[in-house]
Amino acid sequence: MDTVHARFKEKIGEVLLPGDVFSFRLPEDGEGDANIKTEKIICGPGLRRNGEEVQVCKSGILRHKQPNLYWIDSQQRRYVPAKGESVIGIVIAKSGDIFKVDVGGSEQASLSYLAFEGATKRNRPNVQVGDLVYSQFTIANKDMEPELVCIDSCGRANGMGVFGAEGLLFKVSLGLVRRLLAPQSEIVKDLEKIFPFELVVGMNGRVWVKAKTVQQTLIVANLLETCENMTSQQRQTLFRRVAEGSL
Amino acid sequence: MSPMKLCVPGFKDSFGEPCPPPPGARALLSYTPALKHTHICERLCSTEDCIPGTGTDLRHGYIFATLAGYVLRKNEGEELPVISVVRETEAQLLPDVGAIVTCKVTSINPRFAKVHILYVGSTPLKDRFRGTIRREDVRATEKDKVETYKSFRPGDIVLAKVISLGDVQSNYLLTTAENELGVVVAHSEAGAQMVPISWCEMQCPRTHAKEFRKVARVQPEYLQA
Repeated sequence: MDTVHARFKEKIGEVLLPGDVFSFRLPEDGEGDANIKTEKIICGPGLRRNGEEVQVCKSGILRHKQPNLYWIDSQQRRYVPAKGESVIGIVIAKSGDIFKVDVGGSEQASLSYLAFEGATKRNRPNVQVGDLVYSQFTIANKDMEPELVCIDSCGRANGMGVFGAEGLLFKVSLGLVRRLLAPQSEIVKDLEKIFPFELVVGMNGRVWVKAKTVQQTLIVANLLETCENMTSQQRQTLFRRVAEGSL
Repeated sequence: MSPMKLCVPGFKDSFGEPCPPPPGARALLSYTPALKHTHICERLCSTEDCIPGTGTDLRHGYIFATLAGYVLRKNEGEELPVISVVRETEAQLLPDVGAIVTCKVTSINPRFAKVHILYVGSTPLKDRFRGTIRREDVRATEKDKVETYKSFRPGDIVLAKVISLGDVQSNYLLTTAENELGVVVAHSEAGAQMVPISWCEMQCPRTHAKEFRKVARVQPEYLQA
């Protein structure tokens, strides 16, 4: 009996609201027991199990990935820190042995002086207030202040650290950020054809762009902001128009 | 105008008399017919009659009061009775070094967890004392690999042992580095009370999600079905 998968499948691609319920109550009669196969379903973000029901807690579209992963794709702009995610932070203050970094969450995160590659107690990293930092969360939960590091577990920087001497930092929704960070992102590939630029994407919805001239930087920033609500065809026509216009 | 007399609890002043109570002390006391009230520095009796208890001090062969309150005389067997001064009629039980206390976690930090001490042994406390459980005192083994977030969460009820009373500014120092100490009652993120599965995991009965805690091994006779 594929009731569980069937119930989910009929809603894939549909918009669901918080409070919608999928209930899987087993039939009362004795015959039903023989036919029931136990199926395993993984509830991703936006879905929560409550006894015999699965409840939706975020509004969005139900997505499915083989073999048994279901989740809600929501357009959210507010970032909630999660462990292991790489984000762009802005250094707000230096206090004692740590920097206070704004990551767009409810609390400021702390970044230790020693969490940079090659940093020792005598050799302090060159970080000023107002710098942009690309770093990863080591501690991020609702009970404690989040902590960031700019090195990985081996002690190497791995692309993290202070950056952004010039360029433009702007904010987009989290859904667009996930699309940009996907392995074969079409948006990035299409943008590359227009002109070369540097791009840093943080999972907290912050994107930093730098191109050869200020005008090109602004064009790339505007294109990324408008891509959010476009289908891929609309996007490609827009990019083609811009490429012809700029060349 | 009489000259100001130096009054230090327990010492006689320059006149050879026990120091008078500080002005206004008498106004704070209330009379009860059952217990005799006393004020600070009052000479109670000599050492030959009684043994000094809490709230008293022994000087020059006499017992002096160090607290303003009520005098209690207790007869304990064949020895001399114990004389003590208490602020209230019921003695306040203070957590002592080595006592098992029940406390509630109020906040956590990568380095320590702050708790409110609720019970000492099985006696509830009237005031909430503050305690700290440091990261290295959570477990007996692998102390440097302890993560506070995987041992306690705010709102957990924890059994701990007092290792130090601390000084004026710091709180009681507690430890859970034994099998019988640790989290007893915890609520999951869904709000249901969790069931312990092992010494480091608890499971929520509603969502079946497992969470990490430093779980106490409670003796079976103390568990209620």
